[in-house]
Amino acid sequence: MKKLISFALLAIMGACHGIPSWDNDIEGNFNALWTILDQHYCFFDYKGLDWDAIGKEYRAQIKPDMEASEFFDVCSSMLDRLEDGHVNLSSPFAVSYYRKWWSDYPQNFDWRLIQEHYLEFDYTTGGGLSYKVLPQNVGYVRYDSFASSMGASFLDAMFLNLKECPGLIIDVRNNGGGDVTRVEQLVSRFLEDPIAAGAICHKTGPGHNDFSEPYTFYYEPEKNHVRWLRKVVVLTNRSTFSAANQFVAIMKSLPRVTIVGDRTGGGDGMPFSSSLPCGWSVRFSASPVYDPSGKLTEWGVEPSEGCRVDMDPDEALRGKDTILDFAVSLLAEK
Amino acid sequence: MCRISALISVCLGLLCSLSLTAQKSEDPVRPIYSAYMVEAGSSHVAETYLSPLHYDGWTVGLSHRRAQAMRFDPENWLMELGGRVHVDRTLARPARNVVEWRLALELDWAMMHKWLLTKGLTLYAGGFTRADAGVFYLSRNGNNPAAAKASWTIGPRAGLGYAIRIGKLPLAFRYFVDMPLTGIFFSPAYGELYYEIYLGNRSGLVRGAWPGNFFRIDNTITADMRFNSTILRVGYASRVFSSKASDIVTRVVSHSFIFGVAQEWQAVNGSHSTTEARRIISAY
Repeated sequence: MKKLISFALLAIMGACHGIPSWDNDIEGNFNALWTILDQHYCFFDYKGLDWDAIGKEYRAQIKPDMEASEFFDVCSSMLDRLEDGHVNLSSPFAVSYYRKWWSDYPQNFDWRLIQEHYLEFDYTTGGGLSYKVLPQNVGYVRYDSFASSMGASFLDAMFLNLKECPGLIIDVRNNGGGDVTRVEQLVSRFLEDPIAAGAICHKTGPGHNDFSEPYTFYYEPEKNHVRWLRKVVVLTNRSTFSAANQFVAIMKSLPRVTIVGDRTGGGDGMPFSSSLPCGWSVRFSASPVYDPSGKLTEWGVEPSEGCRVDMDPDEALRGKDTILDFAVSLLAEK
Repeated sequence: MCRISALISVCLGLLCSLSLTAQKSEDPVRPIYSAYMVEAGSSHVAETYLSPLHYDGWTVGLSHRRAQAMRFDPENWLMELGGRVHVDRTLARPARNVVEWRLALELDWAMMHKWLLTKGLTLYAGGFTRADAGVFYLSRNGNNPAAAKASWTIGPRAGLGYAIRIGKLPLAFRYFVDMPLTGIFFSPAYGELYYEIYLGNRSGLVRGAWPGNFFRIDNTITADMRFNSTILRVGYASRVFSSKASDIVTRVVSHSFIFGVAQEWQAVNGSHSTTEARRIISAY
């Protein structure tokens, strides 16, 4: 009987699973923001961040009667300490961005220059892809965002139109990412055999080190469509971010692929969103993704050895993209 | 000897035939009590995978229930089959600036014993099994906009029925309560993205359910007013649900008014004459 009563009590208690709640005032919203990040953000230890100390520092800056915009600025400054381009605080009047992952570095990309001096405003476009055969008989493909779709038929046609070229340049500079499933769609066109493309893990609880075992995921070659199994050079800059960063990390592991340009911008954590009592939303990195060698690329992917190249501003004035020229020199038939 | 054998065979044949006829005439009619209902009311929702906030709003649904006395002991046992689809539209509390949607579909089957306690008052008790699937959707969460739900559970169901007549109007009040005790349900881990599941990591997604981590109690009270062959139903349903897995809490509390029509009907079976005099045993 006692067991039955205990069971019944537990059953009733089950109806009361606790959900954290915060007051909808300055302090309550600050605590909500700090706690959501504390329990879900995935790079505290990787980045050596003391989130308690950061919270204490910024909690001292809030005042009960401060304006919403002032409060937003304090919260944004706190989030900037995560040094993560995937972290945004969204309010009705502003969205916070951490920009230093690209703003402190040369841009190393000028699409107008390439269109004018290399493509002569005469190239084929479809979805987010643009391509042309350069005068050195090198294929050039520009992919500006993984948010832009790539039709399988368009990819087939593109590779067939470039079939006389011994090498291909894929320019993902300024590609800020998008849909990660398109990374697989594109990478699978360069595979001869299945590859371990990386691993992903997730938080298993609110502790900073509560992570699951990394789960290895595999990409298969796209055998029913046209594939490119010749040399490839991938062009990168600091604004190559998120899904584009993952694309570069996987491509770098393939034979016949060279990465040229600057280190990518990183953005290795799969983002997650949550909400504050005042109605603002916050986005943050929640699930780390490892590259094929088992490393995190939150700080970016380095170019291949000997292929770290910047755009020369003086040459750019003369219509030269020194990163693109370097790539062409690697691929052009001698 | 052959003649005696033939006579015995004819007698046995006649006896069997008479016995079958008697059994057939005793086989009662078990009409199906079928109801179609619209439900509308308030909904309180929280799904911490998407947001730690609570959401309030409305819920609307369509449901169908059918009941029938069971063949093996129609006087004492009945079964119910039900299906319900509903949509909840809720706003974040207190900001009320973002909408969370919920769509759910559920099917259940129950078998209950009934006891006539006094004239007009019937007690029902038995068990049920329920399968449900649904999704919460918060459009502004770019990378985690949805949380899928699915479960299969079993548990007890009990009820009381009271039939009276007001003037010439037959009225039947019924109250049912059910609560799943065990089963299985789907839940990702604490911070697990559906993208990881898409990549193939499907371990640990199915959890064992018990009232400590999967609590649900449904209370329904209806009043059926019989106008000739048509029955009008009004009622109220209260549903409380709370689950917790990997520190993800899901809570849904709804209160709905029920409006519906019901009919009691019998499928015409070729083995019976429609003019045959037979007992009729209603489900309730």
